[in-house]
Amino acid sequence: MTVQITASEGGMSHNKVLAIGLVGAVVCMYLTYLNALTGTEVFSFFGGLAAVFALWWGTDTIKHLCSYGLGTGVPSAGMIALGSGLVAMIFATKLSSMGIISSALVIPIGCVVIAGILGAILGYIANNIVNMSIPVMVSSIAELCIVGAVTILGLSAMATGSFVFADLASGQVAFFGITVANYQASLLGGGVIAAIFMLGAIGVQHAFNACLGPNESQDRTLMLAAECGFLSMITVSIISFAFIGMGSAIVSFAVSVIGWVYTYYKYLEMSKRDAYMWLDAKPILEKEEA
Amino acid sequence: MTALGSGSGGGQGMKPVAVVVGLVILVVALAAVYFLAPGMAFMALIGVIIGGVLIGFGVHFVPVGGAPAAMGQSPGIATGVTMLAAGAGLAGLFGGAWAAELGFGVALAGGAIGGALMMAITCLMVNVVYVYAMGIPAASGKVAKDPITGDTFEAYKSQGTEGHGLPFVSYVGGVIGGLLGGLGGTLIYLELLGVYEASLPQLMGGSIDQIVPLAVGLAGIFAVGLFLVNAVIAAYNITGTIEGPHDPKFKRFPRAVIGCAIASAVCGLLAVMLVV
Repeated sequence: MTVQITASEGGMSHNKVLAIGLVGAVVCMYLTYLNALTGTEVFSFFGGLAAVFALWWGTDTIKHLCSYGLGTGVPSAGMIALGSGLVAMIFATKLSSMGIISSALVIPIGCVVIAGILGAILGYIANNIVNMSIPVMVSSIAELCIVGAVTILGLSAMATGSFVFADLASGQVAFFGITVANYQASLLGGGVIAAIFMLGAIGVQHAFNACLGPNESQDRTLMLAAECGFLSMITVSIISFAFIGMGSAIVSFAVSVIGWVYTYYKYLEMSKRDAYMWLDAKPILEKEEA
Repeated sequence: MTALGSGSGGGQGMKPVAVVVGLVILVVALAAVYFLAPGMAFMALIGVIIGGVLIGFGVHFVPVGGAPAAMGQSPGIATGVTMLAAGAGLAGLFGGAWAAELGFGVALAGGAIGGALMMAITCLMVNVVYVYAMGIPAASGKVAKDPITGDTFEAYKSQGTEGHGLPFVSYVGGVIGGLLGGLGGTLIYLELLGVYEASLPQLMGGSIDQIVPLAVGLAGIFAVGLFLVNAVIAAYNITGTIEGPHDPKFKRFPRAVIGCAIASAVCGLLAVMLVV
């Protein structure tokens, strides 16, 4: 179990991916706060970009961890990442109303710290108590927990325009022209977070699960991860029509579609590059003129 | 097939130092809740820990065959531990959540039966596929005789395989696993729902009727998150395939139970502290 099987050689080192992913995701999370500063909801799409950064980084972490052979398949790593990340994320959104630091700016960084601690404890349990004895287990599960937490936080912020618990927990419903607070019309009360949870859980584990094999290459796997991220963003941007203004939701939708089309073509190009050969077969053969 | 057999799975046994460190974390989590929010929140955390332990223990009963089972080379259901456990447990959790209004006991029973039913149907369909579609008889590779029916397997087992199909003992194991998983998931849900329903109205400034959707949403999503964490820790303990309660790997369950208790305590601490 402790023999590492390297899936692919070369490419970016994992620490570089970690640094880019973590910094990118946190910066994008803070950019969504421009919503509160400027009084608009146009900047919601930055939350989705934070999730893309996190998924991109998380895919490389899963590859790093699963190269040791867990025996349980790749999806389990995605499930524990999002399961624990969710717990840390919902707790972190409450940080600003707990009376220690009242600014909402504490939430993204607090989310990373809490998820890191929770993930390290879970990694310690898996590595030492369940006795997996994998050298990178503790750091990888900690990373994955942060990835899960930031992904859900980012997509939630994209859907609602905010990452504060009070905004995620209550929505507004127009009732005879009067807007009243309604907890059922919210991200948490309406169960929308379950959809976001599954989008993140599939997004983080799919790319490596789909690309693993003898000719797995890092740039192709990570491009697929980004594509999954943008695909999740499209779904969330459609969800966001229910929570934020029409104009802002259209901006989110446009950003997601542009990102998805770009990454999809890039991924297709890389797949063709890595393939031994490819044939542009048509589904129905055209009849040749005699 | 040796790579998928009992040969893999990290070190055997438990590290005493790690267990002590883990138990210290467990006690710290309990103490933190006891001092910050004694009473209901503390009892809820204990309920969450029991639920987590039930999930971790229950997962060990579920017969998992993985990819080899799809090729008829090992007994069990042809998918991963996490997916099966999540399917059984979440089916139970939804059943229990639906019955939450009918009282604690009914809801728990609903959750347990929901999970067991889901596993019973899955096992039945798996056997239908194995016997009628793949044309293979159920034979265990781990024991010579079925511990429940006393049927012998040796004559039916194909050479070069670890057995195939889903023997009766694995079927029973799957149903017990679904029962325990559904029970554990529902217990976590009900405990958290109780805490949220008690404290959210005051915290959010709304009436209990207004707050119920939020409490249900929060308790439900936390139960799903905790369920997956516990299922994956148990899956890491099993590492790949397990036939059911007669499998030698089943004896490893104590370390998963300890691990799940600690993981549930830490995650439960965050879930309970959300409203304190």
